[in-house]
Amino acid sequence: MKNMKKLLSLLLCMAMCLSMMAGCGSKPAATAEPEAAATETEDAADTTEKTEAADTAASDEPVTVTLGIWPEDTLTDDIAMHEGFVEKMKTIDPNVTFEPAYYEYKSDTFMPMVEAGNCPTVFQTWFTEPQKLIKAGAVADITDELEARGWLDCINPSIREMMSDENGRVYGIPRDGYALGLMMNMELFREAGLVDADGYPIYPKTWEELAETAKTIKDKTGSAGICILAFDNGGGWHFSNIAWAFGATLCKDNGDGTFTCDLDSPEAIAAMEYVKSLKWDYDVLTADPTVENWGTGFTQLGTGGAAMYIAANDAVMQPTEANGLPVEDLAMCAIPAGPGGQFSLSGGTPYMFSKDATPEEINAALDYIEIMGYSPSVSETALDGLRADYANRKENGIPVIPRFRCWTNQEIIDAEEKIIEENANVDQKMYQPYFDATSSAGLRTEEPGSVQDMYAEFTKVLQAVLTDQNADVAALMKTADENYQAILDAM
Amino acid sequence: MKTKRRFKKRDLLGWLVMLPTLILFTFYVWEPLLENVRLSMYTAKRYEIEAFNGINNYIGVIHNPDFKDAFVNTFAYTGWSLVIGFLVPILLGILLSEAVHFKNLFRVGIYFPNIVPGIATALIWTFFFTPGETGVLNILLSKIGIGSLTWLTNSKCTIPLIVATMTWKGAGSTALIYMAHISGISPDLYEAATIDGAGLMQRVRHITIPSLLPLAKTMLILQIIAVFQILYEPMMMTNGGPNGASISLMMLVYRYAYRDFNFPYAAALSVMICIILILLSGLYMKMTANKED
Repeated sequence: MKNMKKLLSLLLCMAMCLSMMAGCGSKPAATAEPEAAATETEDAADTTEKTEAADTAASDEPVTVTLGIWPEDTLTDDIAMHEGFVEKMKTIDPNVTFEPAYYEYKSDTFMPMVEAGNCPTVFQTWFTEPQKLIKAGAVADITDELEARGWLDCINPSIREMMSDENGRVYGIPRDGYALGLMMNMELFREAGLVDADGYPIYPKTWEELAETAKTIKDKTGSAGICILAFDNGGGWHFSNIAWAFGATLCKDNGDGTFTCDLDSPEAIAAMEYVKSLKWDYDVLTADPTVENWGTGFTQLGTGGAAMYIAANDAVMQPTEANGLPVEDLAMCAIPAGPGGQFSLSGGTPYMFSKDATPEEINAALDYIEIMGYSPSVSETALDGLRADYANRKENGIPVIPRFRCWTNQEIIDAEEKIIEENANVDQKMYQPYFDATSSAGLRTEEPGSVQDMYAEFTKVLQAVLTDQNADVAALMKTADENYQAILDAM
Repeated sequence: MKTKRRFKKRDLLGWLVMLPTLILFTFYVWEPLLENVRLSMYTAKRYEIEAFNGINNYIGVIHNPDFKDAFVNTFAYTGWSLVIGFLVPILLGILLSEAVHFKNLFRVGIYFPNIVPGIATALIWTFFFTPGETGVLNILLSKIGIGSLTWLTNSKCTIPLIVATMTWKGAGSTALIYMAHISGISPDLYEAATIDGAGLMQRVRHITIPSLLPLAKTMLILQIIAVFQILYEPMMMTNGGPNGASISLMMLVYRYAYRDFNFPYAAALSVMICIILILLSGLYMKMTANKED
């Protein structure tokens, strides 16, 4: 009996060790393979890169592309659409295998995945991330591939800058551009009587008007007039746009690698005083702005918790499809003007590529994006993709409105306009004030410097002024300015 | 020659039994720990070490505008957790073992919040603490005629309230440990005391508490170590706000690593946390060792 026990325990130990070694062994083997393949093909690619990239039709060697941009499991319509794209790609280039690898970008999962060699060939990230990912060497330089395709000069210059390093090399292409505007819940606007004879919203054109409009809504409907964010950097992000309207310039690039910030200028302080007054004088905010972030803001807007929200046109699916607001109840106007003018913060949501991807893989992924219709290409297959995309939006209750111009060639702009007309499901006039403003001179990209840290500092001030009626705005802004300057100096 | 130890078959078995654990520890605990210390003194691209940077990462971390807040707050969390959270499980443990009726019901009831996932707990309590008329607690208070309170958005209350939710969630499991310990105390002692005419309070004071003391000391240091590493509760409930009132050191580590991808700074700060904890534990052991002498 005792011997049996001994034998058994010995066997168990051996089994455990073996299984563990098996576990340890398989991982490096799996990652080593693509790396070896990468170096092999890279050498070969050096000479043939240009010609091959230009000729995107068929590759000689089998290529596997993992698609991080695959839709998540619950979006069955989108998956069906993408399966159609994969089928189509098979007829165009049978040597390429496309593997679905749904990946929702998260900053806490991304780097470990890259380090393990498991990054999908192409993935979509947040507009905040390109510069960080480029600096970390976590994404591929796709300048040559884009140049060979003739796409490089079609990218909206301000978005291109966001996705480029200091030498002008480009690391991503825009899925969408965005410019901040003001989304409105028409149900609440109607209830508050803030519509004209034709049913269009009487929208605020200045920040002062916004406060009054919000007050009317709060008084007549009981819902918050506007949802201001103060949970995370989203708060500072929105606030920087408000500060511009009040005339603030928040950070200056000195041109020698140093930056000088000015977060406590009288204009920036006036903007913060204004936000404070929305809480303590007008009382038009949601119950606790310090828990509101980008996502909850859309929930507030979509479910009638708040009537207005600073948001961009690339997120119209958030209040509607994701939070149940009927398409006809959403409208958009421009960010209100202030004493300093009218500005809309703009940028782009990028597709980026694994640092380990070979030129062939990048090209195949770009081909895929092309047939999705998210490129400057106006080939019939590309437009089919765009048609499918807009038809899908229409079917799922997402307002079909023009995208922000991330590609600037006239052909794609015209073609897209036509497709949008075909799939129209909303009254475009509901969005007219927004599009009028975002095609004007008021577009502005993010401030230079370490902008996320600036947003973090603003968010702290927002939290203080929105939770403490006696908060000293000037003093808080001064601290924010000193803190941010210290961060800039340490860069 | 006889002194030379011979490797016996029995030793082999012992080593074999230990082997999986040793391998696991080496690969998943010790090696990453040492690697972390090394990373904290280098510059890096992603996780890949680039150049030696001495203590510059540490200096950089200390100069972060949020460091002072986080440092003070982390001690405040620990302090408040001792005020609010240390005695509650002991009390619960004693009450549980003294309960006569529905003992199992109380046990389940007290342990129940432990089953709720941590993030869910944080979210539930965020809804409870919502200021204004829509917060659950404010709705309850309004029923008894008390006006709305500001809860977590009052920067003076943020940390104690977060600690209260942690206690709500964690006290049950610790109470069970105390209860198990109490049930291990010889019933003879209680019998003798009862015969001598000791009431409940006297029994608790002279028998239960003295026998719980060694366990309570261990739990104390475990609690300090655990609370010092507080991360997800403030991250979910307040994101460190309002205005840095609830940011913790671990949140800063998280931000360095996963928001800024600045892994060397994250490593440096975690080494600093580790050193502080070693110092605290050392101090505690020195203090208790003196008492026992």
